[in-house]
Amino acid sequence: MFGLPDITIIAVGGVVIIVIIALVYWGLTFRGHD
Amino acid sequence: MIELADTVTIIVIALYLLLMIGIGIWASRKIKNTEDYLVAGRSLGFWVFVLLMIGTVCSGMSLLGVSGLGYRAGWPTIWEQIFVPLAIGFCVIFFGVKLHNVAKTAGYVTVQDYLAHRYESPTALRSLSAVAGIIVSLIYLVGQYTAIALVLMWLFAIPLWLALLIATLVTMIYTTIGGLYAVAWASLIQSIILVVGVFVMAPVIIYKAGGLTHVDQVLAGINPNLVMPWNPSGAFAPVYIFSFAIMLMVGLACAPHVINNVLAIKDVKYFKWAPLAAFLIYGAAMFLLKFTGFAGLVMVKGGVFALPNLPNAPDSIILYGIQYSLPVMALWAVFAVIVLAAVMSTTDRLMLTIGAMCSWDLYKKILRPGASDKSVLLLSKIIVVLSALGTMILAINPPVMLASLIWMGIGIMLSTFAVPLLAGLYWRGATKAGALASMLIGLVTSLVFGALNYFSIVLFGYNFAKIPVHFSFYPLVISLVVMYVVSMLTAKTHEKILDETQTGWFISKQ
Repeated sequence: MFGLPDITIIAVGGVVIIVIIALVYWGLTFRGHD
Repeated sequence: MIELADTVTIIVIALYLLLMIGIGIWASRKIKNTEDYLVAGRSLGFWVFVLLMIGTVCSGMSLLGVSGLGYRAGWPTIWEQIFVPLAIGFCVIFFGVKLHNVAKTAGYVTVQDYLAHRYESPTALRSLSAVAGIIVSLIYLVGQYTAIALVLMWLFAIPLWLALLIATLVTMIYTTIGGLYAVAWASLIQSIILVVGVFVMAPVIIYKAGGLTHVDQVLAGINPNLVMPWNPSGAFAPVYIFSFAIMLMVGLACAPHVINNVLAIKDVKYFKWAPLAAFLIYGAAMFLLKFTGFAGLVMVKGGVFALPNLPNAPDSIILYGIQYSLPVMALWAVFAVIVLAAVMSTTDRLMLTIGAMCSWDLYKKILRPGASDKSVLLLSKIIVVLSALGTMILAINPPVMLASLIWMGIGIMLSTFAVPLLAGLYWRGATKAGALASMLIGLVTSLVFGALNYFSIVLFGYNFAKIPVHFSFYPLVISLVVMYVVSMLTAKTHEKILDETQTGWFISKQ
Protein backbone atom coordinates (compact mmCIF):
# COMPACT_ATOMS: atom_id res chain seq x y z
CA MET A 1 0.00 0.00 0.00
CA PHE A 2 1.30 3.50 -0.91
CA GLY A 3 4.48 1.83 -2.20
CA LEU A 4 5.51 0.98 1.36
CA PRO A 5 6.58 -2.36 2.90
CA ASP A 6 3.98 -4.04 5.12
CA ILE A 7 6.10 -3.48 8.24
CA THR A 8 5.92 0.31 7.76
CA ILE A 9 2.16 0.29 7.23
CA ILE A 10 1.61 -1.97 10.25
CA ALA A 11 4.01 -0.12 12.58
CA VAL A 12 3.10 3.47 11.72
CA GLY A 13 -0.59 2.80 11.01
CA GLY A 14 -0.87 0.65 14.13
CA VAL A 15 0.55 3.33 16.43
CA VAL A 16 -1.66 6.04 14.87
CA ILE A 17 -4.78 3.88 15.33
CA ILE A 18 -3.85 3.01 18.93
CA VAL A 19 -3.31 6.72 19.71
CA ILE A 20 -6.66 7.69 18.17
CA ILE A 21 -8.49 4.91 20.05
CA ALA A 22 -6.84 6.03 23.31
CA LEU A 23 -7.84 9.67 22.76
CA VAL A 24 -11.42 8.69 21.81
CA TYR A 25 -11.58 6.56 24.97
CA TRP A 26 -10.36 9.55 26.99
CA GLY A 27 -13.02 11.76 25.41
CA LEU A 28 -15.80 9.25 26.12
CA THR A 29 -14.81 8.54 29.72
CA PHE A 30 -13.56 11.91 31.04
CA ARG A 31 -16.25 13.49 33.19
CA GLY A 32 -14.48 16.66 34.17
CA HIS A 33 -16.52 19.51 35.62
CA ASP A 34 -15.72 22.77 37.38
CA MET B 1 17.67 34.05 -3.61
CA ILE B 2 14.02 34.03 -4.56
CA GLU B 3 13.02 37.56 -5.49
CA LEU B 4 9.71 38.00 -3.75
CA ALA B 5 9.56 41.61 -2.71
CA ASP B 6 7.00 42.66 -5.31
CA THR B 7 3.90 44.72 -4.62
CA VAL B 8 1.57 41.74 -4.14
CA THR B 9 3.94 40.19 -1.62
CA ILE B 10 4.23 43.39 0.35
CA ILE B 11 0.44 43.84 0.39
CA VAL B 12 -0.20 40.24 1.52
CA ILE B 13 2.45 40.40 4.27
CA ALA B 14 1.37 43.91 5.37
CA LEU B 15 -2.29 42.82 5.66
CA TYR B 16 -1.31 39.89 7.82
CA LEU B 17 0.91 42.00 10.09
CA LEU B 18 -1.77 44.69 10.43
CA LEU B 19 -4.32 42.02 11.35
CA MET B 20 -2.02 40.83 14.16
CA ILE B 21 -1.56 44.37 15.51
CA GLY B 22 -5.33 44.88 15.25
CA ILE B 23 -5.85 41.79 17.42
CA GLY B 24 -3.40 43.25 19.94
CA ILE B 25 -5.29 46.56 20.11
CA TRP B 26 -8.64 44.78 20.45
CA ALA B 27 -7.27 42.47 23.15
CA SER B 28 -5.65 45.33 25.10
CA ARG B 29 -9.16 46.64 25.97
CA LYS B 30 -9.83 43.42 27.89
CA ILE B 31 -6.74 43.77 30.11
CA LYS B 32 -7.74 45.01 33.57
CA ASN B 33 -5.13 43.23 35.73
CA THR B 34 -2.17 40.85 35.66
CA GLU B 35 -4.40 37.77 35.61
CA ASP B 36 -6.13 39.06 32.48
CA TYR B 37 -2.74 39.71 30.89
CA LEU B 38 -1.03 36.42 31.75
CA VAL B 39 -3.88 33.87 31.71
CA ALA B 40 -6.50 35.73 29.63
CA GLY B 41 -8.84 35.95 32.65
CA ARG B 42 -9.19 32.09 32.44
CA SER B 43 -11.70 32.59 29.66
CA LEU B 44 -10.48 30.57 26.66
CA GLY B 45 -13.10 28.51 24.83
CA PHE B 46 -12.63 25.12 23.15
CA TRP B 47 -11.37 26.12 19.70
CA VAL B 48 -9.32 29.08 20.90
CA PHE B 49 -7.60 26.74 23.36
CA VAL B 50 -7.05 23.91 20.83
CA LEU B 51 -5.62 26.27 18.23
CA LEU B 52 -3.54 28.10 20.87
CA MET B 53 -1.99 24.75 21.81
CA ILE B 54 -1.34 23.88 18.15
CA GLY B 55 0.12 27.34 17.51
CA THR B 56 2.32 27.12 20.60
CA VAL B 57 3.67 23.65 19.80
CA CYS B 58 3.94 24.23 16.03
CA SER B 59 7.02 26.36 15.59
CA GLY B 60 8.86 27.73 12.58
CA MET B 61 10.80 24.50 12.37
CA SER B 62 7.57 22.54 12.02
CA LEU B 63 7.35 23.88 8.50
CA LEU B 64 11.01 23.78 7.52
CA GLY B 65 12.61 21.19 9.79
CA VAL B 66 9.91 18.52 9.37
CA SER B 67 10.13 18.44 5.58
CA GLY B 68 13.92 18.90 5.81
CA LEU B 69 14.24 15.85 8.07
CA GLY B 70 11.96 13.86 5.75
CA TYR B 71 14.25 14.82 2.86
CA ARG B 72 17.33 13.70 4.78
CA ALA B 73 16.18 10.45 6.35
CA GLY B 74 12.77 9.33 4.97
CA TRP B 75 10.11 7.30 6.78
CA PRO B 76 12.15 6.40 9.92
CA THR B 77 11.61 10.02 11.00
CA ILE B 78 7.79 9.84 10.70
CA TRP B 79 7.45 9.23 14.48
CA GLU B 80 8.07 12.94 14.98
CA GLN B 81 4.68 13.50 13.30
CA ILE B 82 2.92 11.29 15.83
CA PHE B 83 4.57 12.31 19.07
CA VAL B 84 4.71 16.10 18.61
CA PRO B 85 0.91 16.33 18.10
CA LEU B 86 0.47 13.83 20.95
CA ALA B 87 2.37 16.22 23.26
CA ILE B 88 -0.78 18.37 23.36
CA GLY B 89 -2.87 15.42 24.53
CA PHE B 90 -0.22 14.41 27.08
CA CYS B 91 -0.13 17.96 28.43
CA VAL B 92 -3.92 18.21 28.72
CA ILE B 93 -4.49 14.75 30.22
CA PHE B 94 -1.55 14.31 32.58
CA PHE B 95 -0.92 17.95 33.56
CA GLY B 96 -3.91 20.01 32.48
CA VAL B 97 -6.84 18.44 34.34
CA LYS B 98 -5.26 18.59 37.79
CA LEU B 99 -3.47 21.90 37.30
CA HIS B 100 -6.61 23.59 36.00
CA ASN B 101 -8.75 22.28 38.86
CA VAL B 102 -6.29 23.35 41.55
CA ALA B 103 -5.43 26.63 39.77
CA LYS B 104 -9.04 27.77 39.82
CA THR B 105 -9.19 27.75 43.60
CA ALA B 106 -5.51 28.51 44.32
CA GLY B 107 -5.29 31.28 41.70
CA TYR B 108 -2.20 30.03 39.86
CA VAL B 109 -0.92 32.28 37.10
CA THR B 110 2.13 30.21 36.16
CA VAL B 111 3.16 26.59 36.64
CA GLN B 112 5.74 27.89 39.15
CA ASP B 113 2.80 28.83 41.39
CA TYR B 114 1.86 25.14 41.45
CA LEU B 115 5.42 23.97 42.19
CA ALA B 116 5.79 26.52 45.01
CA HIS B 117 2.45 25.40 46.54
CA ARG B 118 2.84 21.63 46.11
CA TYR B 119 6.41 21.49 47.40
CA GLU B 120 5.95 24.17 50.08
CA SER B 121 8.80 26.13 48.56
CA PRO B 122 7.71 29.71 47.90
CA THR B 123 11.25 30.92 47.24
CA ALA B 124 13.82 28.24 46.37
CA LEU B 125 11.87 26.02 43.97
CA ARG B 126 9.96 28.96 42.48
CA SER B 127 13.23 30.79 41.75
CA LEU B 128 14.98 27.72 40.38
CA SER B 129 12.08 26.73 38.14
CA ALA B 130 11.58 30.31 36.92
CA VAL B 131 15.27 30.73 36.11
CA ALA B 132 15.39 27.29 34.44
CA GLY B 133 12.21 28.19 32.53
CA ILE B 134 13.72 31.47 31.36
CA ILE B 135 16.94 29.72 30.20
CA VAL B 136 15.15 27.02 28.19
CA SER B 137 12.62 29.51 26.80
CA LEU B 138 15.45 31.76 25.59
CA ILE B 139 17.24 28.83 23.90
CA TYR B 140 13.97 27.89 22.24
CA LEU B 141 13.23 31.51 21.34
CA VAL B 142 16.61 31.95 19.64
CA GLY B 143 15.81 28.80 17.64
CA GLN B 144 12.51 30.33 16.54
CA TYR B 145 14.06 33.64 15.48
CA THR B 146 16.76 31.68 13.67
CA ALA B 147 14.02 29.85 11.75
CA ILE B 148 12.41 33.10 10.75
CA ALA B 149 15.82 34.47 9.75
CA LEU B 150 16.52 31.48 7.49
CA VAL B 151 13.16 31.80 5.78
CA LEU B 152 13.32 35.56 5.34
CA MET B 153 16.82 35.28 3.89
CA TRP B 154 15.38 33.05 1.18
CA LEU B 155 12.13 34.82 0.56
CA PHE B 156 12.93 38.52 0.54
CA ALA B 157 15.15 40.87 -1.34
CA ILE B 158 15.19 43.25 1.65
CA PRO B 159 18.10 42.95 4.10
CA LEU B 160 17.78 40.26 6.74
CA TRP B 161 17.99 42.69 9.66
CA LEU B 162 15.08 44.72 8.28
CA ALA B 163 12.84 41.71 7.69
CA LEU B 164 13.72 40.36 11.11
CA LEU B 165 13.04 43.74 12.71
CA ILE B 166 9.59 44.02 11.10
CA ALA B 167 8.53 40.51 12.19
CA THR B 168 9.89 41.02 15.71
CA LEU B 169 8.33 44.43 16.19
CA VAL B 170 4.88 43.24 15.09
CA THR B 171 4.99 40.19 17.39
CA MET B 172 6.31 42.35 20.20
CA ILE B 173 3.63 45.02 19.76
CA TYR B 174 0.61 42.73 19.87
CA THR B 175 2.04 40.55 22.65
CA THR B 176 3.01 43.54 24.78
CA ILE B 177 -0.28 45.36 24.56
CA GLY B 178 -2.67 42.40 24.43
CA GLY B 179 -1.06 39.72 26.64
CA LEU B 180 -2.47 36.20 26.46
CA TYR B 181 -5.78 37.45 25.03
CA ALA B 182 -3.87 38.74 22.00
CA VAL B 183 -1.57 35.70 21.84
CA ALA B 184 -4.54 33.29 22.00
CA TRP B 185 -6.64 35.07 19.37
CA ALA B 186 -3.61 35.68 17.14
CA SER B 187 -2.82 31.96 17.45
CA LEU B 188 -6.38 31.14 16.41
CA ILE B 189 -5.86 33.06 13.16
CA GLN B 190 -2.26 31.87 12.76
CA SER B 191 -3.12 28.20 13.29
CA ILE B 192 -5.98 28.38 10.78
CA ILE B 193 -3.64 30.00 8.22
CA LEU B 194 -1.01 27.37 8.98
CA VAL B 195 -3.25 24.31 8.80
CA VAL B 196 -5.26 25.46 5.75
CA GLY B 197 -2.05 26.56 4.01
CA VAL B 198 -0.39 23.17 4.55
CA PHE B 199 -3.55 21.27 3.52
CA VAL B 200 -3.70 23.25 0.26
CA MET B 201 -0.02 23.50 -0.68
CA ALA B 202 1.46 20.16 0.43
CA PRO B 203 -0.82 17.94 -1.74
CA VAL B 204 0.12 20.01 -4.80
CA ILE B 205 3.84 19.40 -4.18
CA ILE B 206 3.24 15.67 -3.59
CA TYR B 207 1.07 15.51 -6.75
CA LYS B 208 3.78 17.25 -8.80
CA ALA B 209 6.28 14.63 -7.62
CA GLY B 210 3.99 11.87 -8.98
CA GLY B 211 1.80 11.09 -5.96
CA LEU B 212 2.65 9.45 -2.64
CA THR B 213 2.83 5.86 -3.98
CA HIS B 214 5.26 6.89 -6.72
CA VAL B 215 7.30 8.93 -4.24
CA ASP B 216 7.61 5.93 -1.89
CA GLN B 217 8.60 3.64 -4.77
CA VAL B 218 11.36 6.04 -5.82
CA LEU B 219 12.53 6.38 -2.19
CA ALA B 220 12.77 2.57 -1.93
CA GLY B 221 14.87 2.57 -5.12
CA ILE B 222 17.26 5.19 -3.70
CA ASN B 223 17.70 3.35 -0.40
CA PRO B 224 15.36 0.66 0.99
CA ASN B 225 15.84 2.05 4.52
CA LEU B 226 14.09 5.28 3.47
CA VAL B 227 10.71 3.48 3.43
CA MET B 228 11.24 1.41 6.56
CA PRO B 229 9.70 2.45 9.89
CA TRP B 230 13.13 2.60 11.57
CA ASN B 231 16.82 2.42 10.77
CA PRO B 232 18.77 -0.77 11.59
CA SER B 233 21.19 1.21 13.86
CA GLY B 234 22.18 4.70 14.97
CA ALA B 235 19.75 7.64 14.77
CA PHE B 236 16.13 6.54 14.31
CA ALA B 237 16.85 2.93 15.24
CA PRO B 238 14.09 1.56 17.56
CA VAL B 239 15.83 2.47 20.84
CA TYR B 240 16.53 6.00 19.60
CA ILE B 241 12.92 6.40 18.45
CA PHE B 242 11.73 5.40 21.94
CA SER B 243 13.84 8.12 23.60
CA PHE B 244 12.95 10.60 20.84
CA ALA B 245 9.23 9.94 21.36
CA ILE B 246 9.51 10.59 25.12
CA MET B 247 11.56 13.74 24.49
CA LEU B 248 9.01 15.18 22.07
CA MET B 249 5.81 14.10 23.80
CA VAL B 250 6.72 14.72 27.44
CA GLY B 251 9.33 17.46 26.87
CA LEU B 252 6.99 19.65 24.87
CA ALA B 253 4.08 18.91 27.21
CA CYS B 254 5.97 20.25 30.25
CA ALA B 255 7.59 23.19 28.44
CA PRO B 256 6.66 26.36 30.37
CA HIS B 257 5.15 28.11 27.32
CA VAL B 258 2.94 25.07 26.58
CA ILE B 259 1.85 23.96 30.04
CA ASN B 260 0.87 27.48 31.15
CA ASN B 261 -1.90 27.41 28.50
CA VAL B 262 -3.90 24.89 30.55
CA LEU B 263 -4.34 27.52 33.27
CA ALA B 264 -6.22 29.79 30.85
CA ILE B 265 -9.09 27.52 29.74
CA LYS B 266 -12.60 28.56 30.76
CA ASP B 267 -14.01 25.16 31.67
CA VAL B 268 -12.32 21.82 32.34
CA LYS B 269 -14.94 20.07 30.18
CA TYR B 270 -13.03 21.40 27.13
CA PHE B 271 -10.25 18.96 28.03
CA LYS B 272 -12.58 16.13 26.99
CA TRP B 273 -12.07 16.35 23.23
CA ALA B 274 -9.17 18.82 22.97
CA PRO B 275 -6.50 16.05 22.84
CA LEU B 276 -8.23 14.24 19.94
CA ALA B 277 -9.03 17.45 18.02
CA ALA B 278 -5.44 18.71 18.34
CA PHE B 279 -3.96 15.34 17.39
CA LEU B 280 -6.09 14.91 14.28
CA ILE B 281 -5.69 18.47 12.97
CA TYR B 282 -2.04 18.97 13.77
CA GLY B 283 -1.08 15.36 13.03
CA ALA B 284 -2.58 15.51 9.54
CA ALA B 285 -0.73 18.77 8.79
CA MET B 286 2.55 17.33 10.11
CA PHE B 287 2.22 14.14 8.03
CA LEU B 288 1.62 16.24 4.92
CA LEU B 289 4.70 18.36 5.70
CA LYS B 290 6.84 15.25 6.04
CA PHE B 291 5.52 13.93 2.74
CA THR B 292 6.60 17.18 1.04
CA GLY B 293 10.15 16.39 2.21
CA PHE B 294 9.91 12.92 0.61
CA ALA B 295 8.49 14.49 -2.57
CA GLY B 296 11.29 17.06 -2.60
CA LEU B 297 13.93 14.32 -2.45
CA VAL B 298 12.30 12.54 -5.39
CA MET B 299 12.25 15.78 -7.41
CA VAL B 300 15.88 16.56 -6.60
CA LYS B 301 16.99 13.02 -7.48
CA GLY B 302 14.93 13.27 -10.69
CA GLY B 303 16.77 16.45 -11.65
CA VAL B 304 13.63 18.64 -11.48
CA PHE B 305 15.51 21.20 -9.38
CA ALA B 306 18.68 21.30 -7.32
CA LEU B 307 19.36 22.41 -3.77
CA PRO B 308 22.27 24.78 -3.12
CA ASN B 309 25.41 23.25 -1.65
CA LEU B 310 24.83 24.55 1.89
CA PRO B 311 24.83 22.66 5.23
CA ASN B 312 21.21 23.55 6.04
CA ALA B 313 19.90 23.42 2.44
CA PRO B 314 17.51 20.45 3.12
CA ASP B 315 15.58 22.69 5.54
CA SER B 316 14.67 24.80 2.49
CA ILE B 317 13.25 21.84 0.53
CA ILE B 318 9.64 22.96 1.00
CA LEU B 319 10.53 26.41 -0.38
CA TYR B 320 11.95 24.87 -3.54
CA GLY B 321 9.00 22.49 -3.75
CA ILE B 322 6.58 25.42 -3.68
CA GLN B 323 8.68 27.43 -6.12
CA TYR B 324 8.50 24.55 -8.62
CA SER B 325 4.97 23.29 -7.97
CA LEU B 326 3.17 26.61 -7.52
CA PRO B 327 4.89 29.03 -9.92
CA VAL B 328 2.72 31.97 -8.90
CA MET B 329 4.51 34.68 -6.95
CA ALA B 330 1.41 35.68 -4.96
CA LEU B 331 1.21 32.11 -3.58
CA TRP B 332 4.80 32.33 -2.39
CA ALA B 333 3.78 35.43 -0.46
CA VAL B 334 0.94 33.42 1.07
CA PHE B 335 3.48 30.76 2.04
CA ALA B 336 5.66 33.47 3.60
CA VAL B 337 2.63 34.41 5.72
CA ILE B 338 2.20 30.75 6.70
CA VAL B 339 5.82 30.60 7.88
CA LEU B 340 5.45 33.90 9.71
CA ALA B 341 2.29 32.56 11.36
CA ALA B 342 4.09 29.39 12.49
CA VAL B 343 7.04 31.28 13.93
CA MET B 344 5.05 34.11 15.51
CA SER B 345 2.51 31.78 17.14
CA THR B 346 5.35 30.23 19.15
CA THR B 347 7.52 33.30 19.75
CA ASP B 348 4.64 35.37 21.14
CA ARG B 349 3.81 32.66 23.70
CA LEU B 350 7.48 32.25 24.63
CA MET B 351 7.95 35.99 25.17
CA LEU B 352 4.83 36.18 27.31
CA THR B 353 6.02 33.17 29.34
CA ILE B 354 9.39 34.80 29.99
CA GLY B 355 7.54 38.01 30.97
CA ALA B 356 5.35 36.03 33.38
CA MET B 357 8.24 34.19 35.01
CA CYS B 358 10.21 37.42 35.54
CA SER B 359 7.39 39.69 36.67
CA TRP B 360 5.15 37.23 38.53
CA ASP B 361 7.45 34.51 39.87
CA LEU B 362 10.64 36.44 40.51
CA TYR B 363 9.41 40.02 41.11
CA LYS B 364 5.94 39.73 42.63
CA LYS B 365 6.34 36.42 44.50
CA ILE B 366 9.95 36.73 45.67
CA LEU B 367 11.58 40.16 45.35
CA ARG B 368 8.63 42.51 45.99
CA PRO B 369 5.63 40.63 47.46
CA GLY B 370 3.92 43.96 48.15
CA ALA B 371 4.25 45.18 44.55
CA SER B 372 1.10 46.68 43.07
CA ASP B 373 -0.73 44.88 40.26
CA LYS B 374 -0.02 47.85 38.02
CA SER B 375 3.76 47.60 38.50
CA VAL B 376 3.72 43.81 37.88
CA LEU B 377 1.76 44.37 34.68
CA LEU B 378 4.19 47.08 33.56
CA LEU B 379 7.20 44.87 34.31
CA SER B 380 5.63 42.00 32.31
CA LYS B 381 5.37 44.29 29.31
CA ILE B 382 8.95 45.57 29.70
CA ILE B 383 10.29 41.99 29.89
CA VAL B 384 8.33 40.99 26.77
CA VAL B 385 9.96 43.89 24.89
CA LEU B 386 13.45 43.09 26.22
CA SER B 387 13.20 39.35 25.46
CA ALA B 388 12.02 40.10 21.91
CA LEU B 389 14.80 42.59 21.19
CA GLY B 390 17.51 40.49 22.88
CA THR B 391 16.76 37.27 21.02
CA MET B 392 16.31 39.16 17.75
CA ILE B 393 19.88 40.44 18.05
CA LEU B 394 21.11 36.88 18.66
CA ALA B 395 19.23 35.65 15.60
CA ILE B 396 20.91 38.15 13.27
CA ASN B 397 23.79 35.66 13.12
CA PRO B 398 21.81 32.39 13.01
CA PRO B 399 23.57 29.19 14.08
CA VAL B 400 23.59 26.18 11.76
CA MET B 401 21.91 22.89 12.74
CA LEU B 402 18.67 24.59 13.67
CA ALA B 403 16.71 21.38 14.30
CA SER B 404 19.37 20.24 16.77
CA LEU B 405 19.15 23.56 18.63
CA ILE B 406 15.38 23.31 18.98
CA TRP B 407 15.48 19.63 19.98
CA MET B 408 18.14 20.59 22.52
CA GLY B 409 15.75 23.17 23.98
CA ILE B 410 12.98 20.56 24.24
CA GLY B 411 15.41 18.01 25.72
CA ILE B 412 16.47 20.46 28.44
CA MET B 413 12.81 21.24 29.20
CA LEU B 414 12.16 17.49 29.55
CA SER B 415 15.11 16.86 31.88
CA THR B 416 14.37 19.91 34.05
CA PHE B 417 10.57 19.94 34.47
CA ALA B 418 9.15 16.46 33.72
CA VAL B 419 10.14 14.70 36.93
CA PRO B 420 9.25 17.46 39.47
CA LEU B 421 5.89 18.01 37.73
CA LEU B 422 4.86 14.37 37.26
CA ALA B 423 6.13 13.32 40.70
CA GLY B 424 4.43 16.36 42.25
CA LEU B 425 1.08 15.57 40.67
CA TYR B 426 1.04 11.78 41.11
CA TRP B 427 3.36 10.75 43.98
CA ARG B 428 2.55 11.86 47.52
CA GLY B 429 6.06 10.83 48.58
CA ALA B 430 7.77 13.49 46.44
CA THR B 431 9.37 16.12 48.69
CA LYS B 432 10.63 19.68 48.39
CA ALA B 433 14.28 18.56 48.61
CA GLY B 434 13.63 15.86 46.00
CA ALA B 435 12.06 18.38 43.63
CA LEU B 436 14.87 20.91 44.08
CA ALA B 437 17.57 18.28 43.59
CA SER B 438 15.93 16.60 40.58
CA MET B 439 15.25 19.94 38.86
CA LEU B 440 18.76 21.31 39.45
CA ILE B 441 20.53 18.08 38.50
CA GLY B 442 18.20 17.59 35.51
CA LEU B 443 19.02 21.09 34.25
CA VAL B 444 22.78 20.83 34.78
CA THR B 445 23.19 17.28 33.40
CA SER B 446 21.04 18.08 30.36
CA LEU B 447 23.20 21.12 29.58
CA VAL B 448 26.32 18.93 29.96
CA PHE B 449 24.97 16.00 27.89
CA GLY B 450 23.54 18.44 25.33
CA ALA B 451 26.92 20.14 24.89
CA LEU B 452 28.82 16.81 24.74
CA ASN B 453 26.40 15.58 22.07
CA TYR B 454 26.13 18.85 20.08
CA PHE B 455 29.89 19.40 19.88
CA SER B 456 30.68 15.67 19.28
CA ILE B 457 33.02 15.59 22.28
CA VAL B 458 35.01 12.40 22.88
CA LEU B 459 35.35 11.60 26.60
CA PHE B 460 36.93 8.42 28.03
CA GLY B 461 37.22 7.15 24.46
CA TYR B 462 33.48 7.53 23.88
CA ASN B 463 32.08 9.85 21.20
CA PHE B 464 28.96 11.52 22.60
CA ALA B 465 27.68 12.27 19.10
CA LYS B 466 27.12 8.52 18.68
CA ILE B 467 25.05 7.76 21.77
CA PRO B 468 22.22 5.34 20.87
CA VAL B 469 19.44 7.50 22.39
CA HIS B 470 18.54 11.17 22.40
CA PHE B 471 20.89 12.91 24.84
CA SER B 472 18.00 14.04 27.07
CA PHE B 473 17.23 10.44 28.04
CA TYR B 474 20.24 10.19 30.39
CA PRO B 475 19.53 13.38 32.40
CA LEU B 476 15.86 12.36 32.57
CA VAL B 477 16.77 9.03 34.18
CA ILE B 478 19.28 10.75 36.51
CA SER B 479 16.62 13.30 37.51
CA LEU B 480 14.15 10.46 38.22
CA VAL B 481 16.61 8.55 40.40
CA VAL B 482 17.58 11.72 42.29
CA MET B 483 13.91 12.55 42.93
CA TYR B 484 13.24 9.07 44.35
CA VAL B 485 16.36 8.78 46.51
CA VAL B 486 16.25 12.33 47.93
CA SER B 487 12.50 12.15 48.58
CA MET B 488 12.90 8.89 50.48
CA LEU B 489 15.54 10.48 52.70
CA THR B 490 13.92 13.86 53.45
CA ALA B 491 10.94 15.29 55.30
CA LYS B 492 7.54 14.54 53.77
CA THR B 493 5.13 17.20 52.52
CA HIS B 494 2.18 18.03 54.82
CA GLU B 495 -0.95 15.98 54.11
CA LYS B 496 -3.04 19.18 54.01
CA ILE B 497 -0.94 20.51 51.09
CA LEU B 498 -1.08 17.16 49.29
CA ASP B 499 -4.89 17.22 49.57
CA GLU B 500 -5.13 20.84 48.47
CA THR B 501 -3.02 20.12 45.39
CA GLN B 502 -4.97 16.92 44.63
CA THR B 503 -1.78 14.85 44.73
CA GLY B 504 -2.19 11.15 44.11
CA TRP B 505 -2.32 8.33 41.62
CA PHE B 506 -5.34 9.63 39.71
CA ILE B 507 -6.01 12.14 36.93
CA SER B 508 -9.30 13.51 38.19
CA LYS B 509 -11.40 12.95 41.31
CA GLN B 510 -14.84 12.28 39.82
